[in-house]
Amino acid sequence: MDQKMDFNAPHSMGTTIIGVTYNGGVVLGADSRTSTGVYVANRASDKITKLTDNVYVCRSGSAADSQVVSDYVTYFLHQHTIQLGQPATVKVAANLVRLLSYNNKNFLETGLIVGGWDKYEGGQIYGVPLGGTIVQQPFAIGGSGSSYLYGFFDQAWKEGMTKEEAEDLVKKAVSLAIARDGASGGVVRTVIINSEGVTRNFYPGDQLPLWHEELEPHNSLLDILGAPEPMNI
Amino acid sequence: MASNSDLVSDTQRTLYPYVTGTSVVALKYKDGILMAADMGGSYGSTLRYKSIDRLKPIGKHSLLGASGEISDFQEILHYLDELILYDNMWDDGNSLGPKEVHNYLTQVMYNRRNKFNPLWNALVLGGVKNGQKYLGMVNMIGINFEDNHVATGLGNHLTRPILRDEWHENLTFEEGVKLLEKCMRVLLYRDRSAVNKIQISKITEEGATLFPPYSLKTYWEFTAFKNPTVGAEGSW
Repeated sequence: MDQKMDFNAPHSMGTTIIGVTYNGGVVLGADSRTSTGVYVANRASDKITKLTDNVYVCRSGSAADSQVVSDYVTYFLHQHTIQLGQPATVKVAANLVRLLSYNNKNFLETGLIVGGWDKYEGGQIYGVPLGGTIVQQPFAIGGSGSSYLYGFFDQAWKEGMTKEEAEDLVKKAVSLAIARDGASGGVVRTVIINSEGVTRNFYPGDQLPLWHEELEPHNSLLDILGAPEPMNI
Repeated sequence: MASNSDLVSDTQRTLYPYVTGTSVVALKYKDGILMAADMGGSYGSTLRYKSIDRLKPIGKHSLLGASGEISDFQEILHYLDELILYDNMWDDGNSLGPKEVHNYLTQVMYNRRNKFNPLWNALVLGGVKNGQKYLGMVNMIGINFEDNHVATGLGNHLTRPILRDEWHENLTFEEGVKLLEKCMRVLLYRDRSAVNKIQISKITEEGATLFPPYSLKTYWEFTAFKNPTVGAEGSW
């Protein structure tokens, strides 16, 4: 079936997004594919958005809806921080996201994972799926790619991981989802948030493990054949 | 998803539920009310969340159990927080009993239904005040009633018949719990959205007690289960 490329289809982030707590903070992870219908509009998008210095949000669903919700929440949190005189808590950030999602549930199509660190409760992850429910969880997965990860996390998740174990888990999971979900792809981005601050990481395909039926990438067949390359003058 | 008329009119329309809880079952017993629900939050056919608290104490005298859209349940809890706060602010020694809370919820649910913007829930409200036990139910279209045992969703079809048969006045705590567990086990076998992690709560004159979540054992050792096609090869 020949699908016409609909360049006017709404930008949607097929997406795989993940948020995981560990002993000391949280690790957020996401893929980087934004699609309009079957076309990949952006193959290196950043779906992990800053709300405050200590709270970030993973966005999935409609790109426009998730961006506008993030923008409003960033704006409100900025004012809240000024009034409060200290960094906003993760709970407040998550509840602001919930308010917007819930009160505009008829118009929005975005699932969000809010994660961060504050001095009162440490690292926390809150899921805010479609409809505006708010659920605090030790880890959360979302986006179309998450369907392929429920079984993986049921088996691989453990309480009390270290920062390295948590980031490895997130990297592995996003990479597995990308392997099977057409709407997820590109690179794996991670953001680690703890008492010391925020660390952003970037993992292109060659730095990720290969899964079933995936092959080592090469520049050319010629390299594999072992034939000497044609002379370059 | 939003049609143009949704965006241009100033009224909202009926919604669809996204994250839903399944049945709640409750019964009156000697000392008060016993209520049970599982901790599942389904997202369509996916059993997405398995630690959602669907039973909450309200004020000093009531317990609320909810099925249906979880975000709407969370909103109702906000409304009730305010209601209880205002009640406490009177500081007059009086406090809202279960009958009053049930009435408030009925008003809210029916009014929202009239505006074609329902809270997509079926609620169970139980409690004891001054020795009087109360157990009621209200749903998204405003249907509400009071009875000795109530259930929501599939519970109405699967558990009410059991309760009609086995409930009697002055059940002990142990008998009540066993009866509720029988109901929850049936739901586990026969409700697709059921999750094997249940919570039981009780409310008595002394107050509300939320027991820790636990899982039920299930039985699969019928010979007919082990050899279902014996005597009828090729059948299922």
